[in-house]
Amino acid sequence: MAGNGQEQNKRPDPDALLALAEKDRRGKLTIFLGAAPGVGKTYAMLQRARRLRDAGTDIIVGLVETHGRSETASLLEGLDILPRREIEYRGRVLHEFDLDAALARRPAVIIVDELAHSNPEGSLHPKRHQDIDDLLDAGIDVWTALNIQHVESLSDLVTQITGVTIRERVPDSVLSRADEMLLVDLPPAELIDRLKEGKVYLPESANRAVDRFFRIGNLTALRELALRRTADRVDDQIVDYLKQNAIEGPWASGERLIVCVGADPLSEIVVRAASRLASGLNAPWVAVHVERTDREQDDAVAMRQLEKVLRLAEELGGEVKRIAGNDYVTEILRFAAEEHATQIVIGSSPKQSWAFWRRGSLQDALTARASGLALHVVTSDKETVRRRKPFPRLDLASVRMNVLIGVATVAAASLVGEAIDRVIHLPNLSIIFLMGVLVAAIYGGLTSALLASGLSTLAYNFLFIEPRYTLTVAEPYEVFALVAYLGAAVLTGSLAARSREQAKAARSRAIAMQALYDFSRKLSGTANVEEVLWAAVTQLQSGLKKNVLLLLPVDGDLKTLAAWPPDTEPGVADLTAARWAHEKREHAGRGTGTLPNSHFHFRPLMSPHGVVGVCGVELAEDNLNPTDERMLTAILDQTAVAIDRARLSQESVDQAARLEGERYRDALLSSISHDLKTPLATITGAVSSLREFGDRMQPESRDDLLQSIEQESDRLSRFVANLLDMSRIESGALKFTHDWVDVADVVRTAVERARKYFPGRGIETGLASDLPLIEADSVLLGQVLFNLLDNAVKYGGTEPINVYARRDGEAVIISVTDLGKGIPPEELERVFEKFYRRGKSDGRAPGTGLGLSIARGFVEAMGGTIKAESPALKKRGTRITMRFPVKAPVRSDA
Amino acid sequence: MSLDRILVVDDEPQIQRFLKPALNAAGYEVVEAATGAEALKAVATAAPDVVILDLGLPDMDGKEVVAQLRGWSDIPIIILSARDRESEKIASLDLGADDYVEKPFGIGELTARIRTALRRKNKESAVATHFTIDGLDIDTQRRIVSREGAAIKLTPKEYDLLVLLSRHAGRVVTHKMLLTSVWGPAHGEDLHYLRVFIGQLRQKIERNPAEPVIIRTEPGVGYRFAESAN
Repeated sequence: MAGNGQEQNKRPDPDALLALAEKDRRGKLTIFLGAAPGVGKTYAMLQRARRLRDAGTDIIVGLVETHGRSETASLLEGLDILPRREIEYRGRVLHEFDLDAALARRPAVIIVDELAHSNPEGSLHPKRHQDIDDLLDAGIDVWTALNIQHVESLSDLVTQITGVTIRERVPDSVLSRADEMLLVDLPPAELIDRLKEGKVYLPESANRAVDRFFRIGNLTALRELALRRTADRVDDQIVDYLKQNAIEGPWASGERLIVCVGADPLSEIVVRAASRLASGLNAPWVAVHVERTDREQDDAVAMRQLEKVLRLAEELGGEVKRIAGNDYVTEILRFAAEEHATQIVIGSSPKQSWAFWRRGSLQDALTARASGLALHVVTSDKETVRRRKPFPRLDLASVRMNVLIGVATVAAASLVGEAIDRVIHLPNLSIIFLMGVLVAAIYGGLTSALLASGLSTLAYNFLFIEPRYTLTVAEPYEVFALVAYLGAAVLTGSLAARSREQAKAARSRAIAMQALYDFSRKLSGTANVEEVLWAAVTQLQSGLKKNVLLLLPVDGDLKTLAAWPPDTEPGVADLTAARWAHEKREHAGRGTGTLPNSHFHFRPLMSPHGVVGVCGVELAEDNLNPTDERMLTAILDQTAVAIDRARLSQESVDQAARLEGERYRDALLSSISHDLKTPLATITGAVSSLREFGDRMQPESRDDLLQSIEQESDRLSRFVANLLDMSRIESGALKFTHDWVDVADVVRTAVERARKYFPGRGIETGLASDLPLIEADSVLLGQVLFNLLDNAVKYGGTEPINVYARRDGEAVIISVTDLGKGIPPEELERVFEKFYRRGKSDGRAPGTGLGLSIARGFVEAMGGTIKAESPALKKRGTRITMRFPVKAPVRSDA
Repeated sequence: MSLDRILVVDDEPQIQRFLKPALNAAGYEVVEAATGAEALKAVATAAPDVVILDLGLPDMDGKEVVAQLRGWSDIPIIILSARDRESEKIASLDLGADDYVEKPFGIGELTARIRTALRRKNKESAVATHFTIDGLDIDTQRRIVSREGAAIKLTPKEYDLLVLLSRHAGRVVTHKMLLTSVWGPAHGEDLHYLRVFIGQLRQKIERNPAEPVIIRTEPGVGYRFAESAN
């Protein structure tokens, strides 16, 4: 380190400061560490608590076991004690620590004894140290007590020393997160005295173990462990202090360990040893597992074992990495180089060595190829780690099949050999048997191949080697040939079988890949969240063969939005776990440290924009196998991103619709404002001009101004009337009188009015003589006709406008036709829309954009229909046609 | 002396219909244009003295006409606009239009704006160094501002603001224009500066700061310095 840039080293290590800041927000953890039960941890803790309480600190007792000892009980007096929670468990009532009450109470400091305690089934967390973690997260300081024997990394040692197996273990990471560690020490001799005086509480059942445990030798060794552990910690604190204050020193060892682990119990020992080694060196460490890509996945038992080992490594504070590769040694060395590892820890047992005989032991290979790396080999006597070799559960049917294939191929080869031998004498008939072995290997795998090798050697000997039809061999060289044949058969057979396995593995991987690929293609084609969810749920179900749930937040709470089978519903405990996973963005439920009694294993769906939901998988056992694990992770990643994308696209659609609406409103407003303001501007301008300059103007000009005032006022009043009509139609307040109307009369009146308004425009009428009366409102109908004429004048060019009325069966048809430019076909229906006008919002023929829509409103209210046609005549013009039904009028004389 | 020629650009025939006789009666010659393109052509060929421009034109945006005209002509431009086109109006002023009249308007208001614009055009070359309004004297040569002989102490920014406004007497000056020329281009949006300084300035120069007559507020647009009597 000294050789590196001085500047950098002088500055406080940001990581160290960050860790400090992180600690500031959390509560502080104080652990009272003892070598054995009875050294007085609880006593020390309570004494200290009383002092603190006297100083005015809000300190409460969350849980303390006095074990009926009066000394301890008297210390409890006067301290605030949190009531315990009663839990029914297997018919017994247990009094447990009440985490929720503690969180609600929020004291400054809380005492929770016995860190290594396991909670009964059905609690939020299986272990007390997890409860304590929650308290710390909530900013509450926690005091707790622990015996050294419960420390995970020391458990092997403790078992070795005392012969007692420790079941309740606390991960080393909990200890390393403690802010303060107090050693409560008592010399072993005194402890034994206390024990004899009955001052140490021990459960009845443990009596037998007591004698073995409380021996001077054991206690001395445990005390040493506790002392050493505390001393290590002091070391760590000094290093932290040096880092935080940028004091230079040889504090970092610069060492980095990697630990090679596999699916065997030996690996657990290796991991513990490595963790001790690493903490001694104050070095980070990584447990690495190499997954062989050329093999099919290991069996479920091995898988679980591997998970166990990896979880242990995590608990002990190591990092966990899985890498994939073919060549174990190459992969390890590459990984070591990437991680800048300085030391490699491997395990070795006599039992394991046979596995490596083919290419030499791992240890030898690493020694041969690693340079600049220290290699630790952890050995273990197999007595302590008797691996209950999981006998592979043989599928009886498949064994029978394999045997059958082996026997059948040899039988077939024998027959073929015999047949050939009858025809011609071949010196190398063993070739035929070799082919049989190959066939067995390809169709039946290794078992069949080996069986066929053996059988065919015997058959060959029996059938074709002189003396024939005996198993004796006459010529010595034949023996040699026979042995050579067996060797060749076993070799080719196993090679063929292996390539078959590889092909099978590759095929299953290809299928998995294809499934994922299909899934991602399916997702890319879906635009809404619901489709994404269903695609994901079906994909997960078909891939994992398990029940799955997808929960998304709806109005602040998680709802099951997709499930397979569709009626799957999470229980209350499951929902709690799901919410936990959602809030904390952690795995929860089955197979995790939180609510493991849930039936589902929950994972948050994380997208780049945060957590979008939770996926639950119903697990029958605690773990997913790596294949499923990989698939689950891949699918969930894709699903989260797809949900995110679907939501974004939905939002952008909504946004676009909103924008469109706004644009429409703007156009409408500017259109109305223009229509109101132009006549107003003309009137104001003309009036003020007349007042200001009237006397200087020619009489014609004055007259023209007055005329324009009159016309614009008219226009304004029509526009206002139209707006009122429109709002009457829209509000449903339109009332009209049913009357028997003479169509011809109405047309004539409307045309007269229009002629007055639009002098100089020709309007021609053609009215049939047999027009019946229709049931309508003559005023409204007149208004409609006027609007149509007004429209025709505006858009109809200069040629005369025609108005026709005729009878068509049981209807009367009235049409207004102009010879203007006409309307493009796609706009024929839109012209009846409110405020629709041809051209843009400004600078076009003056009009309200209401005329036709009012006309339609009126006509439909009177029971008629109205439509536009274009071109009307000679490829131009527009015709608006109204059609009113004719009902027989009630005759007064009938 | 020939009549001042006014180009009226508006696509509404009824507006043209009353403007022409009114402006004629007021002593101006009127040239009409109904589209932006016609307007640009008319400025080039008919040599008008003032342009009255409606912002809503069928072929192009009124702002665009202002921008194009300002590319090669310094002719005074008066905008006709409706109140709901506030932002376009301000943009046009910032682009170089001289003034605006809001529809509906009285002819008196329009002719007053035309007169101011013409005056600006005619004495463009000679910048007045001395200015008197409502008893307030501004002497830009000696940098002295006084009322009835008593000197008024102004900060440099207040003085700059006052002179800038007085040079545009009778015409509206937009917030942006004031801000960028007194405070610099980076402060074009810092309206609060302007409000504070105008307030201070009015306290010092107005007879009755509660009812200012020298610096008038044009709501949402800017300020207008009163036209002097001389």
